Amino acid sequence: MNLNTSILKYIEDVKSGTFTVEEFTAATLQRIKDVDADVHAYLSLNKSAINDAKKIDQKISSGEKIGQCYGFPISIKDNICITGTKTTCASKILENFIAPYTSTVVNRLQNEDAVITGKTNLDEFAMGLTTEFSAYGPTKNPWNLDYVPGGSSGGSAASVAANECLASLGSDTGGSVRNPASFCSVVGLKPTYGLISRYGLISYANSIEQIGPMTKTVKDSAFLLNIIAGQDANDDTTIDNNHVDYLKDIENGIEGKKIGIIKEMTTTDGLSSEVSTATKDAINDFESLGASCEEVTLPTIPYTVAAYYTITSTEAGSNLARYDNIRYGYEMESEGYEYNSYISKSRMKFGPEVTRRIILGGFVPSAGHAGKYFLKALKVKSKLISEINSAFEKYDYLIAPTAPVQPFKFGEKIDDPVTLMLLDYNTVTANLTGKPAISVPYRVSDGLPVGMQIMANSLEEKSLFQAAYALETKTNLPEVPL
Amino acid sequence: MNEDEIIRVAELMKIDLEDHGEHVGRVKKMLEYFDILDQIDLSSEEITSQEKSLTELRKDEFIPHDKKLIESLKNFREHYVRAPKMN
Repeated sequence: MNLNTSILKYIEDVKSGTFTVEEFTAATLQRIKDVDADVHAYLSLNKSAINDAKKIDQKISSGEKIGQCYGFPISIKDNICITGTKTTCASKILENFIAPYTSTVVNRLQNEDAVITGKTNLDEFAMGLTTEFSAYGPTKNPWNLDYVPGGSSGGSAASVAANECLASLGSDTGGSVRNPASFCSVVGLKPTYGLISRYGLISYANSIEQIGPMTKTVKDSAFLLNIIAGQDANDDTTIDNNHVDYLKDIENGIEGKKIGIIKEMTTTDGLSSEVSTATKDAINDFESLGASCEEVTLPTIPYTVAAYYTITSTEAGSNLARYDNIRYGYEMESEGYEYNSYISKSRMKFGPEVTRRIILGGFVPSAGHAGKYFLKALKVKSKLISEINSAFEKYDYLIAPTAPVQPFKFGEKIDDPVTLMLLDYNTVTANLTGKPAISVPYRVSDGLPVGMQIMANSLEEKSLFQAAYALETKTNLPEVPL
Repeated sequence: MNEDEIIRVAELMKIDLEDHGEHVGRVKKMLEYFDILDQIDLSSEEITSQEKSLTELRKDEFIPHDKKLIESLKNFREHYVRAPKMN
């Protein structure tokens, strides 16, 4: 059975009786068994996946109303809650945490008969870019197991790339969907802030993070967004999308559209020559599709990474204060401890990166330092929003490579926090401004993927998919060698 | 930020540091990088925020839960969570 298929083709095949949901699910679980010892995309598996698949087959055979997903297998990042299952955030502090409720996104998928395969690996509490900060060991890049898969949704990206599911949900605070999508050659979408409910997503930096789909094709991404987007009473930051059909007219093309090539992201010193060459070729492809491209400058971009880390550390410091190991958490005897000392001792289970972010999060907004860091960061955010809104008055899309470099070897950058932070250079702008952005697999050079990022104005996902699909038609990528 | 400040902030954030030296260098490097924020002119910039009126928020109403949540906690007695004593 060919597991390297799209969701839309899978649905066609189930409808035509080429295979049953149970057969495809069983083949997917076998694939996980075969490759995941090497890839380590999953932290836990859904033991009832086969039963779930059988129930959907029964619905199909009995002519019952069937959901749009027809049982396609999807993995979920392990910071998104599903009732009765472990949700660890790849942290030892939540090692045995069983979620008491289900997130809105998973509810919507299950209501449409998707089959959840399991929960995927991430950098602890989604803080990182390589999955090297997972407390349960890193995920490997299916394109080359010696290389990082990107992060923090590295497990999600690798599970899709390695054909261990057809799609995944990740979360994107500063590029955590798009960066691993680029590194693993899958499609990753960060939607407009508020388009997808965050109810059931364990909070890291509420003001900018979003859940996003990770898929093999652009059309699959649009299909998934149709299911999970829209207002949710449980998340007051969600916005009404008027039930836009993102899949409809996706092949309309980009003839006559105006594209701004972000100068600060395409001429930076950190850009590798492979990524630079791929970007020039992508620009030529956009022009051959009938769009006009010209350079645009957004002068605030060099300050965005510092602003992003200042804001996210501050929010993380607040959000992670709830982990006191008293109501839930890991086993630690409380006898002999005073209340506060027990909490401080138990919080030593946070990994080193999370610990550092919490310390930063205590420092940068504190009295005496807020003016230098946090308040400035908020002003940078405001200035950037003004700049990007002006740019979208002139351009339909803004483009740049998703990441300035291709995947790199494990351990290569982990000792230098600034180098790691700068991997976010091209992605944080979409988060700070709330704009939608998508990473499209564009090239595989020396066996390693390169992704292109397209950004659009708020709530312009439909148009964004049209550009992404158009670019996708210009690519001819090899299959993952695993 | 020096070692003493890191230890002090860690205390405030309620984290015991076994080896604070492990974090000092990295946190300092990150803060040094944040100094780039001193180079941008923000004098005319206002902090903007998105606002939502109270009428747009969902009603604050009690929704019954089908399980006894307290039973899923680690340590409880009757209706109370058990916690270490406060001094």
